[in-house]
Amino acid sequence: MSAGASNPEYVNARVRSRRASLFSDEDYRKLIRMGPSEIARFMEETEYEREINALGSRFSGVDLIEYALNRNLAKHFDDMLDWADGRLYDLIARYLRKFDVWNLKTIIRGIYTDSDAEAIQTDLIRAGDLEDRTIDRLLEVDTIEDAIEVLYGTIYYDPLSEAYEEYEETGALVPLENALDRAFFEHLLEDVTRSFGYEPSEGPEALYVEFLQAEIDFRNARNALRLARSGADLDPASYYIEGGVLFDESELSRLVGNYDELVDHIAENKRYGDRLSAALDRLRDADSLIQFEHALDAALLEYADTLSSIYPTSVSAVLSYILAKEREVENIRAIARGREVGLTESEIEEELVIL
Amino acid sequence: MAKDVKPTRKNLMEIEDRIELSERGHGTLEKKRDGLIMEFMDILDKAQDVRGDLADDYEDAQKTINMARAMEGDVAVRGAAAALQEHPEITTESKNIMGVVVPQIESSRVSKSLDQRGYGIMGTSARIDEAAEAYEDLLESIILAAEVETAMKKMLREIETTKRRVNALEFKLLPDLYDSQEYIEQKLEEQEREETFRLKKIKDKKEQEERAEREAKDDVEETRAAATGDTAGTESEEMGQSTAGGVPGGD
Repeated sequence: MSAGASNPEYVNARVRSRRASLFSDEDYRKLIRMGPSEIARFMEETEYEREINALGSRFSGVDLIEYALNRNLAKHFDDMLDWADGRLYDLIARYLRKFDVWNLKTIIRGIYTDSDAEAIQTDLIRAGDLEDRTIDRLLEVDTIEDAIEVLYGTIYYDPLSEAYEEYEETGALVPLENALDRAFFEHLLEDVTRSFGYEPSEGPEALYVEFLQAEIDFRNARNALRLARSGADLDPASYYIEGGVLFDESELSRLVGNYDELVDHIAENKRYGDRLSAALDRLRDADSLIQFEHALDAALLEYADTLSSIYPTSVSAVLSYILAKEREVENIRAIARGREVGLTESEIEEELVIL
Repeated sequence: MAKDVKPTRKNLMEIEDRIELSERGHGTLEKKRDGLIMEFMDILDKAQDVRGDLADDYEDAQKTINMARAMEGDVAVRGAAAALQEHPEITTESKNIMGVVVPQIESSRVSKSLDQRGYGIMGTSARIDEAAEAYEDLLESIILAAEVETAMKKMLREIETTKRRVNALEFKLLPDLYDSQEYIEQKLEEQEREETFRLKKIKDKKEQEERAEREAKDDVEETRAAATGDTAGTESEEMGQSTAGGVPGGD
């Protein structure tokens, strides 16, 4: 797959046209005033037409919207992997593995709860690096052990095999799910220098690395704050993801015990402090992580957007599109679900992350 | 009712015993009722608080799950829920409040820490945590409400039964017993009066008879005395009289 020369110009040109068809602010303003059925109808006249029509006979209401969004997302990201070659493919695929992780988690949870393959299949987002054939085989197995065997040869096999022992002891899915998430984050930055052939200090590659570091840092910050707040007796080190610049392992372990110090540590960071200062103030006052996570999402999106405008024909622009598309899907889903459950327009608007 | 009783002294004594027992029972039941009402008032206050909390918790839980479903997607929320391994358990014991057996519900594994919820921490968000937490709180409120409200209902039923018993004693049984007692007493008094009157009558009659007898006797004696004193003088008169009287048709 990764053989051959990289083709960022071609992929960027195609991504740019896709980016143009993303929903605008004006579209969101319209959507916020619509009910779930109207949103589905509206989507039928846009880029989501094919998915809405294909799923329209099986689902209705917000479920239809959610499944159509997921399928559309998978189609777009799959297309990108089809277009990309060489190093660019590697760089995109390693980010899109998060959907593999999502799918594997969904399948494992399905096996755990004895759900039928059909039900599991509808919840999958086939946008990752794993081949469809592998996923189809996974849907046929009956035990988690067999599922891990099917994954032999992938980056998930070793961590899952290790975590399986713990799963057998405790009977809880936590070790398996954490192993999958860890596999994703640790492979994000792994070999990135080898992939570039040098340690990037400036240029699009450096920004790409910076973006991935931000993703890891934000994940670490989120988890550290959640652990600190929950008061659960958990080893913070086991939730630490290497590769970020915000914490090192010992720092994180120390800070989890002291919530205020942890917040101060994030605020004092040169790279993220200013960007997150408003969110951190709110975190101190309201003690709600949700707003903070919200701010992290917005900061990440802003990051990616900067990347795409600085180096328009690099992998950063593709990543920026991936994030923007993901955000669009999340926003539409938020509007539809929000309207379904009776949230007010202003409540929904508050929750949307629009650049 | 009172007319059904035989007005005998034995019945009267029985009724008096029953009255004594009923009055004692009435007093005890009244005390029990008042005690139960006081306990009930305490439970009622608690139940009102619990109800209020339950409504708040429910609203809160709905809000957080709605938010989680909106922002994370239904699939993610369902997935996180599916990962739950240990389901909450409840055990019930009973407690005695003034003779009323009320349940005491103990719950375990309702509130869980982050690592006990089953879903991986790295790949999920605080929204799912908050929804899970809100539902755990809701479940605890439901369990508490179940305990308090069952106790309240049982107390209420007991109060009603006791009140009915008190009222039955106060307005039905005791008045009936008093009526019967009065009826028997009156009847017995009446019987006594009748008896006295009858005895008096008998005595009068007897005296009358005796008097009559005595008078008759006196007359006979008088006659006899007279007869012995004037035998010659009166013989012809007597004869004439007796003829005149004895043979009315002899003229």
